[in-house]
Parts: sequence; C-alpha cells; structure tokens
Amino acid sequence: MIKEQYLQQLWKHLDKIPEPKRREIMFDYEDHFRIAAELGRSEEEAARELGDPQMIAREMLLGYRVEEAENSGGVVRLSKAVLATAGLGFFNLVFVLGPYIALLSVLLSLWVVSGACGILAIGAMYEGFFGDAVTRMQASFIAISAIGVGMLLGAGTHKLTRGVFKMTLKYLRFNTRVIMNKERN
Amino acid sequence: MNVQFKKGVLDLCVLALTAWEDRYGYELAVAISSKFEVAVGSVYPLLNRLTLEGYFSTYLRESPEGPPRKYYKLTPKGHTHLMELVSEWNTFTHAVNELIKDGVGK
Repeated sequence: MIKEQYLQQLWKHLDKIPEPKRREIMFDYEDHFRIAAELGRSEEEAARELGDPQMIAREMLLGYRVEEAENSGGVVRLSKAVLATAGLGFFNLVFVLGPYIALLSVLLSLWVVSGACGILAIGAMYEGFFGDAVTRMQASFIAISAIGVGMLLGAGTHKLTRGVFKMTLKYLRFNTRVIMNKERN
Repeated sequence: MNVQFKKGVLDLCVLALTAWEDRYGYELAVAISSKFEVAVGSVYPLLNRLTLEGYFSTYLRESPEGPPRKYYKLTPKGHTHLMELVSEWNTFTHAVNELIKDGVGK
C-alpha cells in the first residue's frame, strides 16, 4: 500500500518528463522497493529512506531539462532548464534566474541593434533616392556602413549567444551539484 | 555531518564504488546514504545525472533472488573523470591536513 502510494506520487510529480524517460526513472524506484522487500525490509522503511518524492522529481526534471537543452541548443529549452533549476529553491531563484534574464536581455538588445542597422541602410537609400536630405552618393555610403556594422555585430552576437548557452549549461550543472546536497539537510 | 563537506564529494564516492565492479542501483544508494546521511532516494537522481553525462552506462543483469536488476558500469570517460576527482581530492585533503597539523598538532 505504502509502496503504491509512493510510486503514484512520484509518477504524478514527474508529469513534465515524457513517457519513456519517465518509465525509466520509475524503474529505479520500483526496483528499490522490490530489492528492499527481498532483503526483508518493510515498505514503510523503504519509503522513508527514499525521501520526499516531490524533491526527487524536481531533481530528475532538472537533469532532464539540462540534457534536453544540451542536445538541442534552443533558447526555449535552455530557459526551461533554467526554470527547472530555479524551482529547486529560493537561492536559485536569485542566483540563476536573475543573471539569466539579465544576460538574455543583453543578447536580445544586441540582436535588435544589428537588425536596426539593416533598417537604417534601407532608410538611408530611400532618403537618397526619394528624399532631399542626402545625395545618392552619401546615402550609398551610409547604407554600406550600416550594413557592414550590422553584419559584424550580428556575427559577434551569434558567437556570444553560443558562448552564453554553453556557460549557462555549465553553471546549471555546477549549481545542481551544490544545491542537491544542500536541500537534503 | 557537515553539509559543506558533502558538497561535491558525492559524485566522487559514487564513481569510486564502481571503479572495480559494476553495481546495481540499490547497492550504491544504500552504501552512499549509510555513510553520508543523505536520503537514499537522492542517490538515484545522482546516478541518473552521471549516466546522462556519459560517466556510466547501464544494463540489466539476472539476479539469483528474482527479476533482473539495473547495473551501473563505469565508462572510459567516467574512469578518466574519477581519476581527475581522486587526484584533486588528494591534493585538497593533503593541504587541509597539513594546515590542521600545523595549527592543532603543536
């Protein structure tokens, strides 16, 4: 009875992890109860020593998210991994989510600026052909410079974004190690 | 036990237990938690993470008592990682012991 309840709770808390992976995780815990029984220990004992199923599920979710983000490298996945980490405790909310949002904003603004350079080029050409603020020659120069700056910035930001992703994943891992052992006590 | 001490050492211990023979999850979980006062259940996420990071591979093996059990096997990558951790640990504890000896052992 205790075993059934425990496993049911764990299963419920793992609902964000897709089915096959979820089954795999459950296997370890079902096994634990089974082997405990083979060694003549009660279900209560086995459940008590396992600890809080919700906490376990959080850790598992985190591991899964980090792996997911590594394999795909998308911003959505990475954000999910960061959120899973933040879910582990208040400390993480401050030390993981905060810096992550700040970094993301910086990256986003860099992307916006490099995009704006492109728009500036179009605007300058339009002004050169149809307006009278600048000559065509001047407009061409402005446009070429703007496109150049935009492309350089874009390439730089792309590299930076990749770097930030790699670093974030590394930090998440490091952070998990620290937090996992802290939360227990 | 001092929580600060436990941090980071758990990985090393789990890897060390599998250095010479493959072990099944229950065995590892109980061995670790009996020494470190951590919940047995928290060792499984640890094993899971180390497996994802490529330090362990897993397989099922029949057991005399009943159905097959999931065994953890140290991969070459895991072995390298373990050796790194062991040498770091030795350097670290050596330094700490020296300091203690100088301070307390007078």
